[in-house]
Order: sequence, then structure tokens, then C-alpha cells
Amino acid sequence: MRGPSIVADQQANIRDLPPPARERTRAHKWLSERRLAEFKAKEKEGIELYLSKLAEEKIRNHALAHVRDRREVMGLLLGGIYRHDGTEYALVRDVATTDLDATDVSVRFDPRAFEKLFVQLDEIGFRYIIVGWYHSHPSYHCFMSSTDVQTQRTLFNLRAHSALVIDPVNKEIEAFFLDDGRVRSRPFAVFWDQFQSPYYGTSVRMRQTEVIVSGEMLEPDDAGNEERSGLRNDA
Amino acid sequence: MPIRVKVRNAETGSTVDMEMENENTMDEIVRGAASFWNKNPGAYVLRRGKRLLRGSQTVLEVGLKDADELELIPDPEGGYRAPPQ
Ligand SMILES: [Zn+2]
Repeated sequence: MRGPSIVADQQANIRDLPPPARERTRAHKWLSERRLAEFKAKEKEGIELYLSKLAEEKIRNHALAHVRDRREVMGLLLGGIYRHDGTEYALVRDVATTDLDATDVSVRFDPRAFEKLFVQLDEIGFRYIIVGWYHSHPSYHCFMSSTDVQTQRTLFNLRAHSALVIDPVNKEIEAFFLDDGRVRSRPFAVFWDQFQSPYYGTSVRMRQTEVIVSGEMLEPDDAGNEERSGLRNDA
Repeated sequence: MPIRVKVRNAETGSTVDMEMENENTMDEIVRGAASFWNKNPGAYVLRRGKRLLRGSQTVLEVGLKDADELELIPDPEGGYRAPPQ
């Protein structure tokens, strides 16, 4: 009996797409001063990782939900890989996760819970590429452990792939990628859609003097709700 | 008659068309696709829709049909040994 044989293959095209406009991007508010300086420098030469506000909130809330029990969390970054003006970048639009086999120092998907993950993938509503993964280090800062590096080398070894590490206890976040096999920190931007306010959790339409959220009239609010948004006001 | 299915690499969006017989297993599909993309087959799972296709199940047992689309999904692991010095 023969094994399955490959009779055709199709490479995915990397589309040309301008990245989110600068006025719709910010640095993450949990960046250290050093990482913020790197972000500002990278902004000038071209950011290689954009994280939607929706994805950012889901990741941060996922990690924060397990601060008390000190368990690591993990999920997949879903989006696309694009090119513009000579820069290849990944755009993370959403994330997916499922039940986890996790302790304070290890995490992976519960093998009995893949179908829950697949349901999310099917319901995501766009043709995604898994551009990386996120996981938390509850209290021990952001870095890539030897296990993390092994995962990156095995699964996410394209330059456009990223590992996002979040420490919800110390309120730190950092992205990493493989550069010729070596782990490097990757400055990233949080972006929001045209019709979304950066300061609210839900989609809103901006008007001249008021903002409508689910039919309710609210006063425009700037820094007051920043805590909910994960965005820095000073970047 | 062999059947022909499409396997998508979820990390790049690339696809391969594979021909297989009823007796072929899901493991063989994962190994074939992973080796084409220079990947470690042990680090992936295979899905059709919301269903996980397990290793020793055959094409016949799973009920794969011509033109089915399968997807190779990464199964990452995070862990803390010691911070780099
Ligand atoms: Zn880790």
C-alpha cells in the first residue's frame, strides 16, 4: 500500500496592502520604557507586527483572568501576512484558544479540547493565517524560555511569525520572532478599525459631538478610559 | 480509485493536493504534508471542520471524500525552565 502522495501545491501569495494608518495605531501601554523607545524607532522604519485592539483585549483579559490562580494561558494569533513599501508585516485581527493543560510554568492545549478551538477557527469570519501564538508568564516577566524557543523554531519559523508573551502580574508585554534562527524582540503596534474608538471595548461610530455605543449616547472620552484599552496615550 | 483532498498549512496559507487510498491513515497525511513543508509532524494536528482527525484512523473510517479540505493546525507548547542569563 502506498502512502498519500502530493500531486499539486499552491504557494500563498503575499498581498500588497498598506498597514493601518499611523493615526489608528499606538504602542501598548504595558511596554517598558526601553521597549517604548524601540517601538518609536521601529515606527520610522516600518512596524512588522500589528495587533488589533480586539485581539489585544482578548489576550490581556485571558491572561488577567488567571492572575489569581497563577496559571499560564495560551492561544493562536489569527490574521494575515502582507507587504507594503518593501516591508513584510503581519496583521493580527483576532485570536483563538480553548481549554488548556496549564500550570504556573507550562501550558498547552488540552488534547480533548481541540474541537472547541476548531469551532472558533470556523466562526472567525475571514480566511486567516496563524501568524503566531501568545502565552502568559504570570509574574516572571517576558522572555522566551527554552521550551518557547523550541516551539518557535518548530512551528513559527517564518520571519513574519511572532510569539507574544504577556506578564499580567507585572503588566508587561513583548513580542519575539526568529531572525535567522535567533530570538529577537519585535516592536509591535496596536491598531483599531476606522469605525472603532480606541477608548471603548465595543465598536462605535465617531460623530462630531457624541459617540453612540449600542444606541446609548455617551460623551466623547479620551484618557479616562485608557485603562480599558491597552493603549498608550504618550506614543 | 484514489481520492484527492486539499491540505492547508494554516501558518502560511499554502496548500497541497494529496491523493490517497481508503487504507491510508491520518498520520500518513500529516507526515506527507509536514515533510513537504519541512515541518515536524508531531507538532501539528489535522482537522476537517471542527473534527480532529486522529493518527491511526483511516481515510475510510474518517469518511474522507474527494475534494475535502483539511487543515494542519500547530499545537504549541509554552513552558518556563530558567530565564536566559
Ligand atoms: Zn514562556
